Amino acid sequence: MSDAILSAHNLVKHFNAGGWGAARKVVRAVDDVSFDVAPGETLGVVGESGCGKSTTARLLTHLLPSDRGEVRFRGRVAGTEVPLKEFRRHVQMVFQDSYASLNPRMTMLDAVAFGPTVHGVDQPEARRRAGALLERVGLDPARFGPRYPHEISGGQRQRVNIARALAFDPDVIVLDEAVSALDKSVEAQVLNLLTELRRERGLTYIFISHDLNVVRHISDRVMVMYLGEVVEIGPTADLYTAPRHPYTEALLAAMPSLDPDRRTMEAPLQGDPPNPIDPPPGCRFHTRCARAFGPCPGTAPVPALVGRRHLASCHLNTVKEAAE
Amino acid sequence: MTQPLVEVSDLTVTFQGTPPVHAVNGVSFTLAQGEVLGILGESGSGKSVTLKTLLRLLPERRTRIGGKVAVEGRDVLALEGRALADHRGGVVSMIFQDPGLALDPVYTIGRQIAETVIRHEGVSRSTAMARALEMLELVRIPSAKRRLSNYPHEMSGGMRQRAMIALALACKPKLLLADEPTTALDATVQIQILLLLRELQREMGMGVIFVTHDIGVAVEVSDKLAVMYAGSFVETGSVAEIIRDARHPYSQGLLAANLVGAEPGALLKAIPGAPPALHAPPVGCAFAPRCELAGPRCGADPLPLWQARGDRWARCVAAAEAAVPSHAEP
Amino acid sequence: MAVAQTDIETLATADKPRGYWSGVGRRFLKDKVAVAAGCVAGGLILMAIFAPWVAPQDPFDGTMIRRLSPIGTEGYPLGADELGRDMLSRLIYGARLSLFMGVTPVLIAFVIGSAIGIAAGYAGGWVNSITMRVLDVFYAFPSVLLAIAISGALGAGILNGLLSLTVVFIPPIARVAESVTTAVRKLEYIEAARASGASAFTIVRAHVLGNVLGPIFVYATSLISVSMILAAGLSFLGLGVSPPNPEWGLMLNTLRNAIYVQPWLAALPGVMIFLTSISFNMLSDGLRSAMDIKQ
Repeated sequence: MSDAILSAHNLVKHFNAGGWGAARKVVRAVDDVSFDVAPGETLGVVGESGCGKSTTARLLTHLLPSDRGEVRFRGRVAGTEVPLKEFRRHVQMVFQDSYASLNPRMTMLDAVAFGPTVHGVDQPEARRRAGALLERVGLDPARFGPRYPHEISGGQRQRVNIARALAFDPDVIVLDEAVSALDKSVEAQVLNLLTELRRERGLTYIFISHDLNVVRHISDRVMVMYLGEVVEIGPTADLYTAPRHPYTEALLAAMPSLDPDRRTMEAPLQGDPPNPIDPPPGCRFHTRCARAFGPCPGTAPVPALVGRRHLASCHLNTVKEAAE
Repeated sequence: MTQPLVEVSDLTVTFQGTPPVHAVNGVSFTLAQGEVLGILGESGSGKSVTLKTLLRLLPERRTRIGGKVAVEGRDVLALEGRALADHRGGVVSMIFQDPGLALDPVYTIGRQIAETVIRHEGVSRSTAMARALEMLELVRIPSAKRRLSNYPHEMSGGMRQRAMIALALACKPKLLLADEPTTALDATVQIQILLLLRELQREMGMGVIFVTHDIGVAVEVSDKLAVMYAGSFVETGSVAEIIRDARHPYSQGLLAANLVGAEPGALLKAIPGAPPALHAPPVGCAFAPRCELAGPRCGADPLPLWQARGDRWARCVAAAEAAVPSHAEP
Repeated sequence: MAVAQTDIETLATADKPRGYWSGVGRRFLKDKVAVAAGCVAGGLILMAIFAPWVAPQDPFDGTMIRRLSPIGTEGYPLGADELGRDMLSRLIYGARLSLFMGVTPVLIAFVIGSAIGIAAGYAGGWVNSITMRVLDVFYAFPSVLLAIAISGALGAGILNGLLSLTVVFIPPIARVAESVTTAVRKLEYIEAARASGASAFTIVRAHVLGNVLGPIFVYATSLISVSMILAAGLSFLGLGVSPPNPEWGLMLNTLRNAIYVQPWLAALPGVMIFLTSISFNMLSDGLRSAMDIKQ
């Protein structure tokens, strides 16, 4: 895909979880993940804890080295064909914890100005730009510029974090649960800000969240992850109305209905997500899947095209006997 | 005329300090036996503080509590010593957001449940252990017998939450207080816990007060809803009434922020600003500075009430003025 | 259409912005115990600096007639020592060497230990493991024994005493520096700085140093009292400072024979050591809590 602005090719990341030799335990955080994002698009990434969505974000931004696979920016491999320093200017990240992601000893203006100075902008110009960006994200630079992180609210801090990412004039912003820790009314404000910025600047977002409502609202396409793998990826409307993977179905069914007359009557899945240290063989979801059949425990399904730009990794879509 | 299970009238809670925090400002409600009340609010709205007052869990020395709190007709604020201990866990018990903090890491699950039963009912250890097993089966923990001898850290998040519910229900309380018990859980686990709570509530006929910031969760479990803002209830009613016909601008804003009926990709009707710091008790409507319908009349104290029935009301000038019951209004 | 929402969240914080250090100062001043300890420590330092002006007598000038005069003797308010020298003057002069032996090794160890610890902590991985294992070797010996061993090998003298104490304090300071830096390195603002494309050196300078030096410094201050006591111990054993120089540890040693004759007099240097070390300890405790941002 040469028209993609950012693409992941067979990314793999395993972490050591202790033990030596044969007893060595490995967390298979991300296992062979590939996808691409078109310019100006918002890709939502959903999944439960331990599914590898945050690790994917750090692999995409090269904050973690991948064991295998590569990230390409406009078709060129990040880290080799595009030098990392340049890559980082194009691909920025906003983290979940608005407090931990700001240096407690740095004023908000300096925090936003830091990035440009790294890339050779002189101090006064960087500060002028930082002021303008604070203004843009809705914080009066005269009032908030000289403040420290503990002196402002969570919503305000997350605005500063967004301004800091914008200071590089990036093409892509990876948002890792960026609104999850905020109160609902503040979350709506930040979502609006993100929507406005995207329209203004033609930004591409990779929006990682556990909140399916928010992801539906903001994304053009959605990617669903389970135990380190992509199980389904497709246009938001198609995926939400006609999911093609039983796990996506279950996630959607687990969403509270918001309708007192049609409350959820039965939990779509039993038990907790399994441990990524020792994922089940074959299809990783088969242990919790109500529709598992013949090939599921033995063979891992491969992604298959099930609609326009819609891929799902499930034997139900490909194996004939599933129809019965 | 039956006595309500819970009767709270004009409850105020102030944390003394510099500056003081007026966390709860005049909350009144009643809860009947077997009823589920959802309290919906954002962080700092006073919802958890209200809950903790019912168990007298607030630090006594720096908290000033005013008003009346009664459970089964007994004045909770006047309980002392043995009576308070019986109240906690025997009549009223509570489940928390983080079971890791509520369960003791150095005792097995079975032992913790058994200890509670022994303390409240004075039964023998073997009877208490049998009850513990019964409770774990009740909350549908698979292979319950084996789990009795598990320590909390040996269980997954969802299992721990079930164990905490088992512990809370071990002495068959009349009232269960739930403080965001599913917030830290994954979506597919959250719905399991919500359904379990709903089922147990029906089976045991408990009253439940369920505090949450998530409208979706509140709708799944509650009969009645109260929307809380800046330490006061701003609107109450049945779940359907609030979801379909919210009268208070804050409730409407919260619904919009929860993306109820939002058009994908469009800008949301977001409430501007942030909640007040509550260093002084609010005069008039605390929401007025963030409200697009606000005017000088919002400073009135007491505020006029829009009221349809006893427990269907909204404390808002604009809602009271637009007294024509219209369902078309958003 | 994309109008800036500038009305946002302006209600949350109304007070004026305050700098970090002014906040620390404000919290410190509220802590009565810490302020008192700071005054005592400051007073001791001033006393050491201005010893020639403060001391009533020459600390080296003694006569056998006055030896072991009790506290309250005319002209000798704190009595005289075993060689008849004025106790008060010797205690005042003693502050010079004692404080010097307490503060200097800690300062040097603070610089070296922080550098090692921060480098190891920020680098992480095997660099960290090897550095820390090497430092762990020093932990095998109790600090007193280590100081005595090094001093003993090098021979008596102030300089050798300083050197041995510095070596003793580098490992604990490096260890604290390493753990603080490792904790900071995992925070997301460091990740954000890495995502900006900044070099490791820039990140350490702009984002790490400011956040770790404070806690390390507080820890180092708490070592001053330990250092003083160790230095006194070295002098007591005849290593470190040698007579007739006034130094509290040495004075404690030379007066120990007088403990049955003039117990109060013999205890005076010990009182000074106790007073100094406790005031430095309380000062560092106060600093620690004043630097806690989440108060």
